[in-house]
Amino acid sequence: MNALENIVFLSAALATVSGFYIQAQEYIRSMVRGQFVQAILIAATIFVLAFVESSIDLVVLGLLVLVLRGYLITELLERRIPGKGSDVKEKDIGIASHLLLDLVFIMIGTFIIYSLVFSRITFSIAGSIAGDTILVFPLALFFQGLFLIASRNSTFSQIIGYIEEENALVLFAIFLIPVPIIIEASVFLDVLALVVISSFVVLEKFTHNPMDELRG
Amino acid sequence: MLNGYVETLMMTLSQYFFVVLTAPLYSGIMTKLKAMIESRRGPSIFQPYMDIWKFMKKETLFPRGSGFIFRYGPYVIFGIYSLISLIVPILVPVPIFFTASADFLGGAILFSLAAFIKIASALESGSNFMSLGAARTASFIFLSEGTLITVFFAVSLITQTNNPYVTNNFLSANPVQGLTLEHIFATLAFFMLFFYETGKLPLESPGLAELGMIEEGMNYEYSGKLLAINKWSGHIKQYILGSILLNVFLFPWFLQSSFPNFLLDIPIMFLKWMLLILIVVIIETTMAKMRLFRILDYLATAFTFSILFLAFGVLLG
Amino acid sequence: MHIFPYLIIAAPIIASAFYSLQPRAASIAAGIVDILLSMLIYFQLPFHNIFYVDFTSWIFLIMVSCIYLASTLYSLNYMKDIQARGISERTYYTLLNLFSASMFFTLLMNDYGFMWVGIEATTICSALLIIGEKNDVSLEAAWRYIILVSAGVAFAFISIILIFYNFHTLNVYDIIHSNPTDGLMGRIIVAIALIGFGTKTGVFPVHTWLPDAHSEAPAPVSAMFSGVLLPVALYVLYRIYQIDPFPLLYTWFAVVSIAVSSLFMAYQKNYKRMFAYSTMENMNMALLGFALGGVGVIGALILLITHSFAKSGAFFSSGNIMKSTGSKNMDQVSGLWKGMPWTSTSLVMSSMAATGAPPFGVFIGEFFILSMLAGRNIVQFSIVIFFVMTAFIGINYNVSSMVFRGSSDSREQGWLMAGTAIVCASISLLIGILFLGGYMNALV
Repeated sequence: MNALENIVFLSAALATVSGFYIQAQEYIRSMVRGQFVQAILIAATIFVLAFVESSIDLVVLGLLVLVLRGYLITELLERRIPGKGSDVKEKDIGIASHLLLDLVFIMIGTFIIYSLVFSRITFSIAGSIAGDTILVFPLALFFQGLFLIASRNSTFSQIIGYIEEENALVLFAIFLIPVPIIIEASVFLDVLALVVISSFVVLEKFTHNPMDELRG
Repeated sequence: MLNGYVETLMMTLSQYFFVVLTAPLYSGIMTKLKAMIESRRGPSIFQPYMDIWKFMKKETLFPRGSGFIFRYGPYVIFGIYSLISLIVPILVPVPIFFTASADFLGGAILFSLAAFIKIASALESGSNFMSLGAARTASFIFLSEGTLITVFFAVSLITQTNNPYVTNNFLSANPVQGLTLEHIFATLAFFMLFFYETGKLPLESPGLAELGMIEEGMNYEYSGKLLAINKWSGHIKQYILGSILLNVFLFPWFLQSSFPNFLLDIPIMFLKWMLLILIVVIIETTMAKMRLFRILDYLATAFTFSILFLAFGVLLG
Repeated sequence: MHIFPYLIIAAPIIASAFYSLQPRAASIAAGIVDILLSMLIYFQLPFHNIFYVDFTSWIFLIMVSCIYLASTLYSLNYMKDIQARGISERTYYTLLNLFSASMFFTLLMNDYGFMWVGIEATTICSALLIIGEKNDVSLEAAWRYIILVSAGVAFAFISIILIFYNFHTLNVYDIIHSNPTDGLMGRIIVAIALIGFGTKTGVFPVHTWLPDAHSEAPAPVSAMFSGVLLPVALYVLYRIYQIDPFPLLYTWFAVVSIAVSSLFMAYQKNYKRMFAYSTMENMNMALLGFALGGVGVIGALILLITHSFAKSGAFFSSGNIMKSTGSKNMDQVSGLWKGMPWTSTSLVMSSMAATGAPPFGVFIGEFFILSMLAGRNIVQFSIVIFFVMTAFIGINYNVSSMVFRGSSDSREQGWLMAGTAIVCASISLLIGILFLGGYMNALV
């Protein structure tokens, strides 16, 4: 393992850890900032890989992540936080139980995918990284996004869960094979548009609970 | 042959007496340094020894209704910590007598045994305050002991062995760049655990404030000689955990293993401990105490780190 | 040089540029233009450049353009007098146009990545349409639609990445015609796509948004969802399935989904919800057909095109009933026959069509699919036939008790709404009769 490879591993791992940070926050603003940190970490990973592969496409991709995920989405979400912003929080969150359930969830998910897929196929990873196990991090992050959507009932948490999933996909794509930049850019714009659309819902309805009319 | 036997015997004796005798000193230095940072004069660094001496001289009283576990628990706990101090590389980085009695996992289980006996003796006291402490400990211990065991698993995975001495040798032979991801996060988890287990500030404030006490609560009804032994055990526990943190996780380098040189380990360990004390004091003086229920979240975080990167270690390995 | 695909996508987008001028007229014009263009493109089939159009996608194009026009026409009256609007009428038409444009984009592109982008764009454009009639419930339904569908479709992106990793291209035509060899990789791609795009298609464990969105959206939007949005997602799923057919997985998921949707259908009180489950059943029947291949694909295509007209007819009729009675609950709707003869006719016809009564096209489609299935797996065949019959009885019993039993003071809501409904229902009958006629001729 050389130093650059270590940096890639570390930043990918930290991106996964940032998922846990987001999961453990009660205050909406901290969650949004956690998403910001995650975007920065992913951009950093992309830049290191761009350096290793000396690829312009990856530099552009990194910049896109920085601008769209890091700046625009964070800004959009922070502006939509109702009231004073800094003191809006979700009620009744058991952090310890959330963390542990999240852990169980991603472990089961990752292990199932690992035993079904990775034990039989060996993927070759970008940036001449040995082995394909680095894909564990984006997978874990993806499952964290799913768990965040499933475990929380406020609009914000669910949007952030969705963005986390998309972040995981970016990470997954750059490790495996960078998708053509035009498609990746369209995907980013789609996600941005979806966040804009969701922010309309935020204005009207802050939490989402089961309803009698929508049962069965 | 005989020579080797004598060498090992000397190493064993020096490790044991070094641990048992100097353990209170580090607590004293920590308290003094903390006081200095808070611009107080603070107690002397030998205050823990004076405390133990003072308690030794006092009369030992037992609350009405207390059972025999309450009376003999402290001795057993002291014995367990003494045994642990012989099986982990906390002074001499080569195996000594008793090292073969348990591996890393065994060490972790001995810690659990000590905690269990402490809870059992607290419940035998018939005092509400001690039951409070016991209840609190019991509701946190499922995460803290879990973390302790998984962290040890993580290091054994890195080095493919359960032997703490081999781990220490392996790590000190490797430069910083060789550190693996699971080692970094296991270190983080163990560092967080160290703060909880030794009752440091963001989790537990020292002293007898009932509102936030966890570990201290279980000393409430002890007096005289038994209290002295309990305090002493506490110092030894802190020393053992801190030294494992230093020698296995944080800073495994510089230990000497050849025969006369091993005496150099005493000042080396002392210097390493000064480093740890500095870190601990900085954190303790900059952080406010958490609410009691937050401790669970804190421990859950440590546990998450340890088990997540244990799993990744298996996958990445 | 093929200009038609560009025009088909451009027409609705241009119409949505008429935001402040004449959104209604422009939308209708775009709908008519799209139908004509889709018809004309038939003479160029098949071709592939940056677009890939063959007979299969042509059927889907016809479906989308027809239902687009029908929904626009129906919306003219339906959206006029809504009390609590979530979005203004102009925004409604703009989004409806963009929604159609994104569906055309998905159908036409010759690139799996852009297909994914198109599917995600349909979610974005259609999410706010659900709150055309705004209340707490429709907001919740819209939110479930947004978050569940986008989370599921995000999962499908993994399969897109794997396709690119495996083939180093995303070109649909090239990949399908390259006879890929890697068995396991192909299966992983196809299986992930089933869960991912299956969210939008209504495959069992990930279908939960479907009844909510269909029951709370305004009637023309429900018609678009059920009639064309789900088939478009199914189209993408089919294109990925063609990479490496994996019938075992797909048929079992489809069979279980058919069973589950029939069971849920049986105890619905909300008639729009009941039709939503019927849509789920039909989509999975078509998925079954696509998965079986051969005659099954033809059956699925007939089923889909008939179903899109029939189910639009059903939702348009439901819209008429809701306007007239103000209730979505079946128990509060009775004796429609007296006051609303045209709507009643279209409701009965379209519910017969959607459940696969002969001689409607759905029957022919189901016949092809089931005859194929009977030769393959008798267990699946018996499960499907049992639950299709359950659904048939359940829906038609409920509809006939709404229409014929008791009496009420309901009235027709203008000729345009009733007319659109009955025309849609009749087309589904027409397709069946024409096909049967042609089939008989061919036999003779």
